[in-house]
Amino acid sequence: MNEKQIQWSVGVLGALGVATVILLHWMVFFWVPTEATMGVVQRIFYIHVPAWWIAFVGFGLVGLCSAVYLWLGDERLDRAAVAGAEAGMVFTTIGLLTGPLWGRVAWGTWWEWEPRLTSALILWFIYLGYFLVRRSTANPEQGKKFAAVIGIIGVLDIPLIHVSVTWLRSLHPQAVILSAENPMNLDGSMGATIGVGLLAFSLIFASLFLARYAVAGYERELDLRDARLVGAQAVEA
Amino acid sequence: MDQKRVSRWTTAFMLGVLLVQASPVWAQAGTALGEQTLGRPYWHVFAAYAIVWILVGGWIFSIVRRLRRVEERLGNE
Repeated sequence: MNEKQIQWSVGVLGALGVATVILLHWMVFFWVPTEATMGVVQRIFYIHVPAWWIAFVGFGLVGLCSAVYLWLGDERLDRAAVAGAEAGMVFTTIGLLTGPLWGRVAWGTWWEWEPRLTSALILWFIYLGYFLVRRSTANPEQGKKFAAVIGIIGVLDIPLIHVSVTWLRSLHPQAVILSAENPMNLDGSMGATIGVGLLAFSLIFASLFLARYAVAGYERELDLRDARLVGAQAVEA
Repeated sequence: MDQKRVSRWTTAFMLGVLLVQASPVWAQAGTALGEQTLGRPYWHVFAAYAIVWILVGGWIFSIVRRLRRVEERLGNE
């Protein structure tokens, strides 16, 4: 993808994302019926689940790009990993904050140290470590490699989060959409709303991921240019 | 003890027993799920949606700020 194509994609995906987000809000607040057991608070579902979906996609990309970066050493893969990690952090934070707002009403508690919530919080801390390691090493190239290793370790937590509700005793409900026995066990209008939510978050993520990737590319080019200038000045002196 | 006094104490005792028996019903009535959370779930929903757009907006802002810094560096050359 060249620079022009990236700019065009960021614009188109962003515009589609904003339109889908507006549609999602209309569906959530004016169209979808209120869930019978939990009441109005269940409407958090339409942003909570897409936020976790994007967090997992973002961190999945970090794991994949980091592994190939360590193998091939291609700088573009490191930039993609950073963009994915930033998205993952933003959407994991959203998931971790919207969950308690739902849980306080549905379960009567903001937080429980139970398997799914705890493993999700661990994921957040692993990727916090990803950024800290990148910034704290004196040699940036070494920092990128250390961060790539953390990125790969972090992605291993995602399957654990997914199976934690079935393998262990958990307060968190079982999977509704990705349930092996009864997938998409939802009312039609609720299924449509969560579908639009997943699409809206995916479009916003794709647009911002590409924008962040492009900016990281510009920064890299400028850093290389500055390094070359400093080198040339040193030779002249 | 005269008859009047005995009946007064009996009535008071019976009312006391009734009160103790009825107290869980009153306590539950005050904390019934619907009543206990009435009004609050709406704030939780609005807060959750606000968090989403504040954090996504924050990420957009950080990308724009980085882009502006790149433009400034290009302008300085």
